[in-house]
Amino acid sequence: MKKREISRRGVLKGSLMASALAGTGSFFGPWQENRVWAQGAAKPIKLGLTCDASGQYGNSGQDDLRGIQMAIDEINAKGGVLGRKVTWITADTETTPATGSRVAERFITREDCTILIGALHSGVANAITQVASKYGVIYMNTNSSAPSEAGENCSRVKFVWDGNGTNFSKASVKNAVDSIGKNWMLLTNDYVWGHTTSAATKAQVEGAGGKIIDNLLVPQNTRDFTAYLLKIQQAKPDVVATAIGGDDIKALREQVAQLKLEGKPAWINNQQDWPDVWGAPNSLFGVFGTTWYHKLALPGVAEFVKKWQATNKEGSIPVPGNVSYNGYMSTRELLKAIERAGSTNNVKIIKELENLKVSATDRMQHFDAYMDPVTHQMQQTIYLARRNTKPADNTDLYEIISWTEPKVAADSDATAKCKLIPYEQVPTVDS
Amino acid sequence: MIATSSNQSDSARLVTPAMLVLWLVLATVPLWIARVGLYPYLGIEILIWSLYALAFNLVLGTAGLPSFGHGAYFGIGAYAFGLCQFNVVANLWVCLMAAFVVAGLAGALVALFISHRRGIYYAFMTIAFGQIFWTLAIKSHKITGGEDGLLKIARLPADFGVTSFDLADNVAFYYFVLIVFALAVIGLWRLVHSPYGRVIAAIKQSETRAAHLGYHVWLYKVSIFTLSAAVSGFAGGLFAMAQLAAFPDVMSLHQSGYVVMMTLVGGGLVSFWGPVVGVFLFLIARDVIGALTNAWMLYFGLLFIAVVLFRPEGVAGAVTAMFEKQSAIRRQGHSAMRLLFGGGRWR
Amino acid sequence: MFDLLPHILNGLTLGLLFALIALGFMLIVGLMEQINLAHGSLFALGAYFAMQLMGSRPPFPAELAKAWLALPLGWRYAATLILAPAAVGIVGIAIEFCMRRTYGKDPLYGLLLTFGAAMVIEEMIRLTWGTRDYVLQVPQAVSGGFLFQDLIWSTYRFYAAGIAVAIIGLVWLLIEKTSFGATVKAGAHDSEIVRALGINLTRLRLLVFVFGTMLAAIAGIIVAPIWGIRPHMGVDAVIPAFLVIVLGGVGSFWGAVIAGLLVGLSVGLTGAYASEWSLLSMYVLLVGVVTVRARGLWGKKSVLEA
Repeated sequence: MKKREISRRGVLKGSLMASALAGTGSFFGPWQENRVWAQGAAKPIKLGLTCDASGQYGNSGQDDLRGIQMAIDEINAKGGVLGRKVTWITADTETTPATGSRVAERFITREDCTILIGALHSGVANAITQVASKYGVIYMNTNSSAPSEAGENCSRVKFVWDGNGTNFSKASVKNAVDSIGKNWMLLTNDYVWGHTTSAATKAQVEGAGGKIIDNLLVPQNTRDFTAYLLKIQQAKPDVVATAIGGDDIKALREQVAQLKLEGKPAWINNQQDWPDVWGAPNSLFGVFGTTWYHKLALPGVAEFVKKWQATNKEGSIPVPGNVSYNGYMSTRELLKAIERAGSTNNVKIIKELENLKVSATDRMQHFDAYMDPVTHQMQQTIYLARRNTKPADNTDLYEIISWTEPKVAADSDATAKCKLIPYEQVPTVDS
Repeated sequence: MIATSSNQSDSARLVTPAMLVLWLVLATVPLWIARVGLYPYLGIEILIWSLYALAFNLVLGTAGLPSFGHGAYFGIGAYAFGLCQFNVVANLWVCLMAAFVVAGLAGALVALFISHRRGIYYAFMTIAFGQIFWTLAIKSHKITGGEDGLLKIARLPADFGVTSFDLADNVAFYYFVLIVFALAVIGLWRLVHSPYGRVIAAIKQSETRAAHLGYHVWLYKVSIFTLSAAVSGFAGGLFAMAQLAAFPDVMSLHQSGYVVMMTLVGGGLVSFWGPVVGVFLFLIARDVIGALTNAWMLYFGLLFIAVVLFRPEGVAGAVTAMFEKQSAIRRQGHSAMRLLFGGGRWR
Repeated sequence: MFDLLPHILNGLTLGLLFALIALGFMLIVGLMEQINLAHGSLFALGAYFAMQLMGSRPPFPAELAKAWLALPLGWRYAATLILAPAAVGIVGIAIEFCMRRTYGKDPLYGLLLTFGAAMVIEEMIRLTWGTRDYVLQVPQAVSGGFLFQDLIWSTYRFYAAGIAVAIIGLVWLLIEKTSFGATVKAGAHDSEIVRALGINLTRLRLLVFVFGTMLAAIAGIIVAPIWGIRPHMGVDAVIPAFLVIVLGGVGSFWGAVIAGLLVGLSVGLTGAYASEWSLLSMYVLLVGVVTVRARGLWGKKSVLEA
């Protein structure tokens, strides 16, 4: 309620200034907002889905969207939340932060969305977070896995649902140092995500008694990795740990697969997103991380996959992957939290989400998951996988080789970096 | 303020009737923007991009220099504003000035390298420098925040000593940007119609002829590019305030291409107001079509092709041509169209 | 020295690929004095068409598709190398028809028209094939790796470099050693003489443009197995192509080839020894050269610098 008052006062102040400037006072008329109010208590809860449809993460953004929509459809089929229907609107955020800001402004001020969901690129996620926190609107960062999202760039209104580079390093490195070898080489995309992820790997390697013999920085948009692959062969490390993202990792995968370099040295990759993998399944190499897989031998997984397929018959991706899963989970848990809070008041929902605990069964993962109330990052099972040599069908690309408990993989340094503003400073939002 | 003599031509005025009409219309925007299905933030973005496009058109339209990497200066301005706020002093005027100066310096540096070059070589040098700045912005993440962006930039209050206005609210900030925009338009209008501006226009017609007339062509090319970069950076500073952050993406070739497109679709080559028309068209079309379909670039691309094919002088040029056809018959009258579009003809 | 050698070799093969990517762009710039910014999108389109032809669902009627799929992979690949560029050539015809209206005007208009075309093609690709990635299948003979100097090298890369050499050579022969080439060159520089000789200039320009788009498509097919296929790939190609032309100088065939090799070497060597600067190095190279030489390495006088 309060949010509307603020913006109405804003408009009022604006129009006074305008009339002073323009010398006309006759523009005052019935506010458009009044009509919205008149609809009363049964008006729907409106979500703004900020998903990329073009740019580098256009493909993953649309997969994210499919998961989010599925959770909304499910809840509406059960009669909605607090007896109200849930509606949504989406627009292409173009993998561009400036577009993210504008879309967020549009969704909040023009479309009356009280919650925003969806992210891949950390810059876009941050741009949206800035706008959301200005208005106090809750924002679900579904899939942006930069460690800084739950560290220095955390926010009281933002919740992070993906595992990050640090989580995956923690899950993979120690074992690999013990079982494969101590000489490591890093292949790092030369931007923030690459650097933070590689730094986490380095700390883990050195903590486990290994050593980093070289760190090759790879510029963003590199399409040809031959120089690096030659360099790696010359240096002969035991393990190469990559922190390569976006389209670059896809090109790297093609080239490593072509050279059949995946055996020696051993490769440890960070998280691979399913929409990226599906386009080029034969190029999967090394060990890589994920938060979920559609053939996990857990109750509920098969039913979930069937349901997802039923609503996405025409899509270019035949089964849900980690990106769609995160979109689905975050939205479902959000809607459940609203139901539990018994209110659409933003602070009440935030408190509900901060205390969120989801059982392994509900998560369709191996361990119980929980929301870290200090960093707002979902702490969940981290899986390591490699290319499946005995696939059950053409979508069965992963062989899951380990699952790590949330507590073991948790990013313990994030707590110190993240400072959330007190609840009183969050502008009130209600719908 | 307004030139009193009615038979004086627009180019000699400080404020033209077209400007007045435009400002008055823009001043009423917050009253009705929600009712036509848009929102105040879009108004802010349109004004900032209009300023940026006008600055860009100093180079493209006025001087006829093809610069395709102008996003760099817009972005540098945004970073300069943010970094000034965090590291120097959190004062609106100082930091906007910093955005202007730093972007101007970057522009001057580039101008030194490119101003002896022409045509395709000039164009690609601007692209190369744009790519270099863009890459450096991503690489220097300790300073710029890299792809995460330089976050938590505040909309600093407009402090006038005696009184201070809070700009945090979108509508308040809109009016602030509008006033700045109005002042900048006056400045640019005077610049274009000053003796200096006429030399620039002469260089556009023929560098050789201008040189033979004794003008130091290189110096003019350097100065106009520097000035354009500085004003673009100033707009970038405003954009950092609007977004509450600065990101490297506006510096990319893609985004630099957008400002070229807006300027040309609007008719920047023939009219002072062309860039503004183009920005309005582009941003509103993007918002409206973007809400209906994710493939808005397809429709805008087709529109763009159609403009280049059938109305290469852009929307403003087409409107002016229409007016001239009419006025050939009537030879008199001051239609609104003439006020808005006709006033800025270069020739 | 032995450490350096592989990187020089790598730089040269990469350079040949850059030269191949720039070839079609160069022809249109050099012979028509038009900048074709849709070059990258046509490059992408070539890769998509090839992927469709090589995939399990070729765009043919059922009977023909069956016969097509029965062919060995190598045959299909060879046929694709001709069919896909031909299909892209049709798109090229459409663009050239639009472009006619801009001839004789400021070359800026041609550039802008093709920029619009690039936007439209990229969006069409997205609508047709979606946002996902694809892989182009290649025959077994040219995939995999081989051992040389204790290092594993990509067979495909050397195959691609070889194709690049062959195509560059053929194009050179066509322009320099045939009467068609002579007419085309004359047409670019003095259209009145060509017209006086009774040669149809309109058709000549169409031919050159379509030839340029087909070369873009071939480059797309050759590079696709290394880069992968996605809607965005055109942008990745058009910028280096443009750079190579400007570096080499407008109107110079060998200038562009040498520029391609230089770019490849600088990207390859910095990749090995100062990896974070590898992509930036090509821009620095360009700025360095064009600062000293007004028309790139061997550029000729052109309306493109008016």
